[in-house]
Amino acid sequence: MDQLEKRKARFVRGLVCSAETVLAELTESPDLPEGMGYFINIMKDVFVHQDKSLISTRLQRTDNQKLIGTYCIMVPEELIYAAGAIPVRLCGGSYEASSIGDELVPRDTCPVVKASVGFTSLGLISIYQICDAVIVPTTCDAKRKMGEELSKFTEVWMLEVPHIKDSEGARRQWLEHIKALKKDLEKLTGKKIRRKALQSSIRMIAGAQYEARRLYEIRKSAATVIMGREAMLALNAYSYDTALEWTKAMAGLNDELESRRDNGRVVADSNAPRVLIAGCPPIFPNWKIPSLIEEMGAVIVADESCMGSRYLYDPAGITEKSMRNMMAGIAARYLMPCVCPSFAPNEDRLYRLLQMVDEFKISGIIYHVLKGCVIYDFELIRVEKIMKEKNIPVLRIETDYSPEDIEQLRTRIEAFVEMLGTKMKKG
Amino acid sequence: MKISRLRWTILIISFVVLIFGGLTGLYLGRFLPSFVCCYVDGHLRSGTCFLASLQSSLSYSSWESYKYLGEIFLYFSLLVILIGRAWCGWICPLGFLQDVLDLIRKKLHLGYLNFSEGIRAKLRCIKWIFLFVALLLPLWASFPAFAPSVAMEFRIPFCHLCPGKYILPMVTADFASVAVNYKNATTITLTILGLVFSALVIVGALMKRRFWCPYCPLGLLLSFYRKISFIKLKKDCQKCTMCEICYNVCPVEIQQVFKEREKEDVTFTDCTLCLKCVEYCPEDGALQATFLGKTIYKSTSKGFFRDKI
Repeated sequence: MDQLEKRKARFVRGLVCSAETVLAELTESPDLPEGMGYFINIMKDVFVHQDKSLISTRLQRTDNQKLIGTYCIMVPEELIYAAGAIPVRLCGGSYEASSIGDELVPRDTCPVVKASVGFTSLGLISIYQICDAVIVPTTCDAKRKMGEELSKFTEVWMLEVPHIKDSEGARRQWLEHIKALKKDLEKLTGKKIRRKALQSSIRMIAGAQYEARRLYEIRKSAATVIMGREAMLALNAYSYDTALEWTKAMAGLNDELESRRDNGRVVADSNAPRVLIAGCPPIFPNWKIPSLIEEMGAVIVADESCMGSRYLYDPAGITEKSMRNMMAGIAARYLMPCVCPSFAPNEDRLYRLLQMVDEFKISGIIYHVLKGCVIYDFELIRVEKIMKEKNIPVLRIETDYSPEDIEQLRTRIEAFVEMLGTKMKKG
Repeated sequence: MKISRLRWTILIISFVVLIFGGLTGLYLGRFLPSFVCCYVDGHLRSGTCFLASLQSSLSYSSWESYKYLGEIFLYFSLLVILIGRAWCGWICPLGFLQDVLDLIRKKLHLGYLNFSEGIRAKLRCIKWIFLFVALLLPLWASFPAFAPSVAMEFRIPFCHLCPGKYILPMVTADFASVAVNYKNATTITLTILGLVFSALVIVGALMKRRFWCPYCPLGLLLSFYRKISFIKLKKDCQKCTMCEICYNVCPVEIQQVFKEREKEDVTFTDCTLCLKCVEYCPEDGALQATFLGKTIYKSTSKGFFRDKI
């Protein structure tokens, strides 16, 4: 028993240390926008202080209010809010947690799943402890089996996601699953999801998306006013905040960034290579890749991560206020535009990447593969092919959450960024 | 919601002008690509539906009649080339009445019916059947080789089946045509079918958006011009995220717009150019309406979020 306690203490120390290191690195920058403070504090509350009451206060959780943990980006938050509960996203990014998870899942599993299982199994980090139910969409193999493993420790609801979006049958089935989820949520909270409540939660999420898209637009401009690692953290922080509060803070940050842009206050050289992070999501506190890229003098102007730019990008299209139309709009939002590689065929993702390369004037792509994520690695072949036609260099980086390979990665990324720089100079 | 409001305004004005404009002495012609039904009192309406003129000129086997047909066909074609099926989405009086019924449904917060792909595919033949009725039966009337007494009733056969014949005069408080014509077996059959279709359209339009439009033979005729029409719906396939919103907002449930991955022109047969898809598309410039190649209306992210937050 003592052994276990010691281990737990070591785990917490480790986690606090890695979270603090990343946050310190961000706060040390003289160019950090003031508006970022809010998002950094969220991460501090969750990973450093790990205090239940602090988190509950931040989420404005009343005594009996239910907290729903979610994984991936296919869980309709609109329904959770409309049922009077609060969603938090639990996909794990901690090296320490992934080492704990290492013993509970097969070795070849990706670190996201390892960390999520690790966090849940220890029951140490309050955000994982205070969830009343956890919703796991059946996306990739690892996430699907993860749901099964998590059910040993917590209440898990599986949400079946079709893997082929084109067929009408799959879409109809998905709508049925969403309707069933609505019933389950109503049962858990004891509150019926009414038309008006759903309407206002859709509006609320649309508000968050509007601000997320504003940030997206700001990052398109040639003048860099926020570093990618900061912007990605702000988006990641949405996982642990209420949509309403996050939207307010994001609006403030966007205002600040826009005034920076208008005043010509840039934070990076205008000749710095503009990099797109494709592939697996960097999840806080695994800020290894974003930090390295920007340390080497490049700017991450875009990412297609489900924890970053893609998290709050695609809105629900609601044309009328009938329950039927709203449910259909929500179902479509979470399935159709999603370009998670767990879908096949997933040609949409290639179009999305091409569009991003054009919109953000990308000079090179860092293709992030977390060890064990077969599906993102699979699509690399296609991504490399289309990017070759566009003459955009792609660097594949395969890694996990461990800090061991950091020097080796630094060398590779440095060489890549340098190559992008020379390529740009040549014109 | 600018474009919706504009569309409603134009629909209302067109309705008043087309159905009651005759009171001011206005007469636009007998070639209108729109349901300005010939059964509406001649003093009221300011024109005639092309489909009625087409059938009646086909049913007289005289040189004059064909010459006249050629003439109105030319005018009709010019009008359709000008704005394509925007006649359906922005001008048609029957379309307007369907939209009014749809608005009532919306205000009651009732959902709408969706037909599955399979059902839609099966129903696709209806408009062709109607078109063949409108083209072939009048020819039989003009050359009544057999059963001449029956053939004579087929001078304007589609009009008797058309819901416009029964619904539009009703709006002008004229109920004379809302009855079974007991003259003979043929007229009884035709008018009963017509009444059934009208009832279906009224009930259907309360449950499904633009219920009638996918079966309209006049609309089909208009859609033949979509490749050469000045107005086109265009898509930038790279910008499209396939979010399906355009399909969900489409009153005639066109799937191909979001599924299209190659062609730029996405003006499909059933499209009434209501431009709701453009209004609701959340991607900058993914969808646009063009007139002679010039963009007249474009989707924007800002426009999408304007009324939603």
